[in-house]
Formats: sequence, C-alpha cells, structure tokens
Amino acid sequence: MKKTLTVAAFASLMSTTAMAETIGVSMALFDDNFLTVLRNGIQEQADGMDGVDVQIEDAQNDVARQLDQINNFVASGVDAIIVNPVDTSATEAMTQAAEAAGVPLVYVNRQPINVDTLPDNQAFVASNEVESGTLETIAMCDQLAAEGTDPARVYIMMGELSNQAAVVRTQDIDDVIANGQCAVEIEEIDRQTANWSREQANSLMTNWLSSGESFDAVIANNDEMALGAIQAMKAAGIGMDTVVVGGVDATQDALAAMQAGDLDVTVFQNAAAQGGGALEAALALANGEDVEQKVYVPFELVTPDNMADYMSSN
Amino acid sequence: MADQTSHGIGGLTYDRKKRGWPNEANVFIALVAIILIFELLGQVLPYMNNQSMLFDFNEARDGTILNMARIKIVILQVAIIGIISLGVTQVIILGGIDLSSGPLVGAAAMIVMSFAQTELVNGQLNPKAVFGPWSFDLPVLAPILVGLAFGAMIGLINGSLIAFTGIPPFIATLGMFLICRGISQWWTKGQPVSFPSDQFAAIGSGMMPVVWFILLAIVLSLLMKYTVYGKHTYAIGSNEDAARMSGINVKGHKMMVYMIASMLAAFAAIVLSSKNLTAQAGMGQFYELYAIAMAVIGGVSLRGGRGSIVGTVLGAMVFGVIQSGFTFIKLDAFYQLMAMGSIIIGAVVLDQYRQRRATLR
Repeated sequence: MKKTLTVAAFASLMSTTAMAETIGVSMALFDDNFLTVLRNGIQEQADGMDGVDVQIEDAQNDVARQLDQINNFVASGVDAIIVNPVDTSATEAMTQAAEAAGVPLVYVNRQPINVDTLPDNQAFVASNEVESGTLETIAMCDQLAAEGTDPARVYIMMGELSNQAAVVRTQDIDDVIANGQCAVEIEEIDRQTANWSREQANSLMTNWLSSGESFDAVIANNDEMALGAIQAMKAAGIGMDTVVVGGVDATQDALAAMQAGDLDVTVFQNAAAQGGGALEAALALANGEDVEQKVYVPFELVTPDNMADYMSSN
Repeated sequence: MADQTSHGIGGLTYDRKKRGWPNEANVFIALVAIILIFELLGQVLPYMNNQSMLFDFNEARDGTILNMARIKIVILQVAIIGIISLGVTQVIILGGIDLSSGPLVGAAAMIVMSFAQTELVNGQLNPKAVFGPWSFDLPVLAPILVGLAFGAMIGLINGSLIAFTGIPPFIATLGMFLICRGISQWWTKGQPVSFPSDQFAAIGSGMMPVVWFILLAIVLSLLMKYTVYGKHTYAIGSNEDAARMSGINVKGHKMMVYMIASMLAAFAAIVLSSKNLTAQAGMGQFYELYAIAMAVIGGVSLRGGRGSIVGTVLGAMVFGVIQSGFTFIKLDAFYQLMAMGSIIIGAVVLDQYRQRRATLR
C-alpha cells in the first residue's frame, strides 16, 4: 500500500515537472454559479491542450487570501497567473507582485482598477458589465411598449450591494431611463436587494405582493432573483403573461423558465469564452508573445425568439 | 442572592413569584411592540399614505380585515431557518452551540436534490442531471432518507467530537462548518442542481414550510417539556457535573442532541431546495447565525439550561415581522442590515437587564 502510494506520488511529481506549462488560477470564489462555468471554461480549454496544467485555487472572497495565493504561485514558479479578482480595487498589489517576479498575469471577468496602467505582460479579459443591464432594460421596455403598457410600474431587485455587478446593472437601469432609451415611461415602486439569491427574492417578491400595489414588470440584476420573483408570483396566482420579468446570466434554470413562458428577458455572458480567452492570453504571454491588453467578450440578449441557441451554452 | 434551590431544572420552575410572568410573555410583548412601531410608521411616514402593515381595513383583497398575504409571508420567510433554530435551541439549552447548520443546509440540499431530479424538463432531458438515468424520478422518500441520514451522520460526528474529545462545541462545529461548505462545493464542483420531480417539489411548495415548522415546533416542544430527553437536556445545560453525578449518560445524551439538531438542519435543506426547485453550493449562508439569533431573541440563554421552543418560535416571528416591516416601509436596502443588527443587540441587552432585575429582586 505504502509503496503504491509512493510510486503514485512520484508519478504525479514527474508529470508536473515534464515540459508542461503551469498556469496558476485564483478564483474569487468557488460557490458561484457563473464563476463555476468560467472556471470550467479554463479547465476544459486546458484539458484539450497538450502540456498545459492549470492549478485552480479558491480565494473564498478574501482579498488577503488571494494575494497570498498569487505570491505562492510566484514562489512555485508558475509560467503565468490568471486572477479573477475578489475586489477590483485591490488589484494594484497583485500586479506589482507578479511584475516584480516577471510572471505574466491575466485578470478575468472583473475589471481591475488599474486596467489602464497594466504592465506589458499583463492583460484583462471580460465582458463590459454596462452592456448587461442596458440590454436587459431596453429589451424589457420594448416588450412593455409592444403590450401597450405605458407608463409601466416596476420593481427592481438588486444583487449584493457590495458587488460591482449589482451596482453597475442597477445604474444601467437608471441610465436607460434617464437617457430616454426606454420606449415607455417607467414608474419605479421600490428597489431592494435580494443578494443574488432565489430564496431571498421569493420572500422579497411575496412581501411586495402583500402591499397590493399594481405593477407591470420586475427588473432583476440576475436570473436567480428573477426566478425567485416568478415563483412568488405564481404562488400568488398571478398570470405570468401579465408581467414582464427580466434577469441576467441565461442559466439553464432561467432558460427552462423562458421555455415555460415565465421569464421574458435574460442576457448571456459568455463565461466559458472568458475563461478560455484568459487562458489563451496567459499562454501567449508566457511564451513572450504580444497580446491585446483589453479583450471584451460581448454580452448577448436572450429572448424566447433566440433562446434555442443558448440551451447548451451555460 | 436569590434562592438557588428554586432554579430547578432549566428554570422551568424558576421562582415564579419573583418572575411575574414567563419569559415567553416578554418576547411576545416585544413582538407586539415591533408590530405597533411599524403600524405607526405606516401612519406617520409621509410617503406611506396611511397604509397598515397587517390590516386591510377596506377588506379589498382577501375579504377579511387582515392583510392575509402579509401575515403569511411574515411566517413563511422565517419558517425554514425556524426549523434549524428548533434544533439549535436544544443545543444551546444543553450548554453547547452549533455553527455547522448553515453550511450543512448547503451540503444536504446539494445531495438531496441529486436524488430528487426529474427526467424531462419541458420535454427535454434534465440539463442539470447529476447521476445517470437510475436517479430520475425516484420515490420521494429516497431523497428525504438520504438527506436525513446525511444530517444524522454530521450530527453524530459533531456530538462525538464534543462528547469524547472534550474540544469546545464552538471549535468542533466551526470545523464542521468548513467541512460541510467544502462538501457542498465538491459534490458537483460548484454547479447548481435543479429540476426536481413534482412529488419532491410538493414538500416545500406554498405554505408547506410553515406547516413543517409548526409541526416540528410542537414535537420539539413536547419533547423538551415532557420527556426524559428534555429534562436531561436542561439538566446538563444547567450543571453538567451535577447531571453526571445523578447518573445521566451525559456523553450519549450530547451525541443525541447534536444528531437531532443536524437532522433538523438537513430537513430544512430538503424544504428549502424543494421550495426553490434548486440546490446551490452557497445555500444556507448565515443561516446558522440567524438560527442562533432567533433562539437568543426568544430568550434562550447562551449559558445553557434556560429557554424554550415556544420562545424560539416567537423569536423567529420577531425576525419575520422585522423583515417584512422593512419592505413595508420601503426602508432603503443599505440601512436594513444595520437596523437588523441593532435590534438583535437591543433585544438581548433588554432581556439580560430584565433577568438581572428578576434575580436581584
């Protein structure tokens, strides 16, 4: 038993010391659906290549832990590092740590605060968050206009308030309305946070329903909250054809709800493409090639018309 | 000093002459006071247009003078954490603490949902299937038993660690907190598990979480009040050495209490994943702390030996009223956590003060 273990350990040691290129990846957190798709995108891309090893670690939403992980990657001599930052304003220290050691670094999904001053061997791959909330809100406005609902009374469900995506997507809603990009006049009844969670959104929606206000639409910062709102409305016997509900992410659950006619609008962020793009950039930088320093993977609007294209994407 | 001999088992016979009224009455008064504050705000705040939180004087919606929709959500939104807090209550009365319940909910939900999946979603194969075809549309008892067995196992580990190694419950269950969060992430590598069978979905649909909560509260309340199990729990919490001397199997009893607590948390996971039609690795975040807070607001003493299930149920209601009240007065999301934290601290400070006065009098 002991002997086989030793042999196995030795064999695994051998395999990592072969010609393989090792990429260290520090993810902000593992138990997030979207980031899981992104992480799998990196892993699958690496599995499909010869001689590329990725070592993925979980920063557990802790800025300090993430910086430690990066320093550990540097110490163990990885060829490049991919970081999905916990806090986008704490990236300067990571950039410096990698730069001092001469290790290429690629930020993925969340835009670092120093994106405009990155050294030559660092890059950034993500989608432009402003697109998500904007696409969602405009599409919902168009649907309301098509139904002849003007003015429209809406509830807004926000993600975790400390999270950049929640702030930006909510700002997008305000901007679309302020800039006159909305086809109908919007009367906001209330906006509250449900912390990205289906359970909390269900409770929040039921609370709103108990006030008896009439409303026409629920704009949610993500699909999970949109689904929670839908479940609450169905439990209260509200016909889903009388309300426009929108989310962001195009998860499998959301697409199933769209097929069932419950969800009207969602937005697809190509997580796998971001993960794969980050790995490509990291490998190119490790080989000393020049890369585009800012790579934007576009958001895509998903409605019942084109949802079939996305059924197997996330 | 007060008459020590009158403390009795778990304060059940706690010197009634000096107490005036039972502790649960205080929690109830606090509950009513909080409701009145929100009703008052509904009348006073200019943008509220004299709305009422719990009443519907025009009888416009339900045909009753009560706003039934709001009364339902007040209880519904705390029912699932309430189920956990029932188990946590007996752990705290025992003189222990259980920090592992929240992550246990996450892990149990992931495991349970994997055995509760349906084959076809909108006519297509379940896109979130965890196992092969054998796992589709199993009898609803299968996921329930798997979940309860998982909970029992975690609880037994918690209990034996605390009983036999003597490490503090805080540390043992903190370790289990991390282990369970790890299990929930490892189970499907972070992927959510969705689309349960209709039978499974029925467990937590509509007001079912409340039904489970009330049923389990009655069972636990009877268990704590009228059985040897309850008496021993209070006895160990009041004075562990005395309990051991009087022949109670303290170690065995501790294992039992932690096991029941974890099984209740696992059952909460079953109801939660059924209600949401999905299981996610991050589910149950902060549930352990809210469950403890519900018990403490309900008058369960963190020193052990004192408290009741009725108090915890009232404590849960306080949470529900506050949560609904915040949405009712449209309190800005940024202030809600601050207000919630202040109310928890305030409630416990008041309770401590009242108890000190009761013992000094």
